[in-house]
Amino acid sequence: MAHRVVGKPIGRVDGIAKVSGEARYAGDVTLPGLVWGKALRSPLPHARILRIDTSKARALPGVLGILTARDLPPVLVGRRMFDMPLLARERVRFIGEKVAAVAALDPDIAEEAVGLIEVDYEDLPAVFDPVEAIKDGVPVLHENPGAYEGALPERPHPNVQSVLRYRLGDVEAGFREADRIFEHTFRTQLAHHGYLEPHAGVVAIDEDGRVQVWASNKMPFRLKELLAHALGLPAAQIRINLTPIGGDFGGKGSLMDLPLAYHLARLIGRPVKMLMGYTEELMAGNPRHPAVITLRTGVSKDGRTVARHVTALYNSGAYAAFKPAPSVNLGGASMGAGVYRIPHLLIESFCVYTNNVPCGHVRSPGEPQMVFAEESHMDMIAGELSLDPVDFRRRNLLQDGDLLANGHALEHVRAGDTLEAALEASEWSKPKPGPWIGRGVAMTHRHIGVGFTNARVRLGADGKVTLVIALPDTGTGAHLVLRQVVAEVLGLSLDEVTIEVATTDAFTNDSGVGGSRVTHTGGRAAYHAAEGLKGQIMAEAAKLGAPPTAFAAIAQAAAAQGRTLEAAHFYDAKAHGAVTSFTAQVAEVAVDPTTGQVTVRRFTTAHDVGTIINPIGHQGQIEGGLIQGLGFALMEELRTEDGRISTLSLGDFKLPTIQDIPPLTTVILEDAVGPGPFHAKAIGEGSISPVAAAVANAVADACGVRILALPITAEKVYFALRMKEQRS
Amino acid sequence: MTRVIHVTVNGKSHDVEVPTYRTLLDCLRYDLGLTGSKEGCGVGVCGACTVLLDGKMISSCIALALFADGREVTTVEGLAEDERLHPIQQAFIDCGGFQCGICTPGQVVAAAALLDAIPNPSDAEIREWMLGNLCRCTGYYKIIESIRAAAQRNRT
Repeated sequence: MAHRVVGKPIGRVDGIAKVSGEARYAGDVTLPGLVWGKALRSPLPHARILRIDTSKARALPGVLGILTARDLPPVLVGRRMFDMPLLARERVRFIGEKVAAVAALDPDIAEEAVGLIEVDYEDLPAVFDPVEAIKDGVPVLHENPGAYEGALPERPHPNVQSVLRYRLGDVEAGFREADRIFEHTFRTQLAHHGYLEPHAGVVAIDEDGRVQVWASNKMPFRLKELLAHALGLPAAQIRINLTPIGGDFGGKGSLMDLPLAYHLARLIGRPVKMLMGYTEELMAGNPRHPAVITLRTGVSKDGRTVARHVTALYNSGAYAAFKPAPSVNLGGASMGAGVYRIPHLLIESFCVYTNNVPCGHVRSPGEPQMVFAEESHMDMIAGELSLDPVDFRRRNLLQDGDLLANGHALEHVRAGDTLEAALEASEWSKPKPGPWIGRGVAMTHRHIGVGFTNARVRLGADGKVTLVIALPDTGTGAHLVLRQVVAEVLGLSLDEVTIEVATTDAFTNDSGVGGSRVTHTGGRAAYHAAEGLKGQIMAEAAKLGAPPTAFAAIAQAAAAQGRTLEAAHFYDAKAHGAVTSFTAQVAEVAVDPTTGQVTVRRFTTAHDVGTIINPIGHQGQIEGGLIQGLGFALMEELRTEDGRISTLSLGDFKLPTIQDIPPLTTVILEDAVGPGPFHAKAIGEGSISPVAAAVANAVADACGVRILALPITAEKVYFALRMKEQRS
Repeated sequence: MTRVIHVTVNGKSHDVEVPTYRTLLDCLRYDLGLTGSKEGCGVGVCGACTVLLDGKMISSCIALALFADGREVTTVEGLAEDERLHPIQQAFIDCGGFQCGICTPGQVVAAAALLDAIPNPSDAEIREWMLGNLCRCTGYYKIIESIRAAAQRNRT
């Protein structure tokens, strides 16, 4: 079906305020009487707090108030499992845990005051590695984690936060059927999201007690609930005012400093702004879980994967509070099955407490870790079986009707098509252009997100339509996509549809942004609301005897009778459907044999997608995710030594720059079978996960060394090459 | 200790009393209310705070406000003329050169300075000049495309 607005490469016409500097992010909000809050953080990974002396800080001119745990109710916070205090009470469990908070007249005074607070600690034994943390006799972080609200009952060790399992068939029987069994273990690193807007929040308490919040948070309604829980207030007393968000990538769904800003605001009777500096972000900003992943796969003589057992230990840090899923675990663990038919499968994922920074969700949570391990493992098995890695994959790819690890049967499976498209575009079968150059392939799939969104559309007297939504735009262009959907349904041009971003007062709930859901759930809510309005317009037109396109006349006739034409829709997608999206990628790398430096010469990414609503935004998601994946593959690492992160600035924690991006070929396989509006699918998390494995496989192809731990730095390749020389 | 500085920002002159330790970025954002320039890394490596000081790019998060005394500052708010966007701003919109927009004030200021210095930059020149401006959303491809498009429009 031909569309008029959907599918058109419309630029970011919603973003004039962003290019002109007028957009007001949470950190830009200012209010009369606004003052500044700052937190003091623990310098030790595990210690008892013996004494806190705030007298010097209090004496500093410009300091208005100071809080320690004693001043706060003993509430615990979290997104699903509530295990973290607002300020440490008697004990700190990671470097960066908040111990006290200050409000002052300006940000510099607040920072100076924080430095004047004296805390005496007594060191406690600590544990940092997830493999160590679940042994007998190690330090235990939480005495009774099972008692925390939201905790799940299974706990094989007191340092286990949660266990998540996926099962198909009978894995032991499967291994008995196998002719060869292969086992490999991989490690991935701690890495921050890298959004360039550190967490920001402003809290003001109105004269009538209403709590007004501006925050870099992508789930305003969940934020309202979580704040109500943390502050002991009725949710209706809290209003979240939406602002643009300066990058999210999964990281902006928690309370962060907002409860402290509230308590400071209440203490001193003035609005309080709290901005995390980037050092605080890198120290305590809910980064990506490091993982230790072991895959054991049984293969038949004819190269079929018959059984697999995956064990993932995700190093979750000191608190489970930042994980939002009911499993208190990472759904990305399910990718241990790859994109393959494995009849007998057991995946076990353990999130483990350690004295490191608490980890949270980062773009496709748990998945880049697992896909790196799984797709490296596939190449290593192929190598040991002397099979071509592509042929080995082809024999095992998912087909229509096959089950995912979660037991869902799939339809419209395009794993094979996607792989072949990537191979062709990357000239996989052509000879490599020289020595020390290699190619690697990797694949994944990503579900189309679920959740619930409220939308309302209203016809104005000028015949233009307003879409009201309380869903923030984290940068993806979601608001533009939603306008395109409404314009398409109503036969309007884009500039005849405006968007009004409401507060949390406008609707009862909304699952917010995350999990590749917005085009689907927001798009469907907007679509059905627009359909509802269209029905009303047609009915009015019939009554008036007017053409159904005379929107202004119809609106004015209704207004004359005191009516506004308006329709709302609440769209709720509870479970993932039978359709997913496949990705296949090929990296071509050159390895410098003298230094170990890896250069990505070119990169190919192929995507099986639904109807594309906005091609520029869609491609932007692919490119942005891919370069994040490349950073994860090659350079990003929050290096820790005994819980202390040593890369505490963006000068040390390396994100890809404009000089690091390879020539890119994108292949799109469009197939109108998604559950979104006009059969759209999701794209936001489709490109990030296979990158590291594609690069690792290409490095192995280029120089014969297999890197089992990310990131793939020059040092690692260099030493692996020297080891290889010594062996031969 | 405070001092009064005289600074011209986007063509408008101001006398501002600032503490001596005040950064130029904080002065712009909090004393003058120009919140377009952003603090990302806070250590001068991400470029979100990029402004022009007497026409030269600097990281305003690591420059003292005192340093701007008697000089001219151009921020993102000063690029548009009479409500008309600068060609580089329009190109960022047309080509998807931004997503979340937090690095964009710095990107467009840097790119505008590039086009002033080199009206028709090669890709290598774009990459060299824009190296100090991190973007976490776009993967940079569409930033390069935006700058190329603006340069193209300059020519036609």
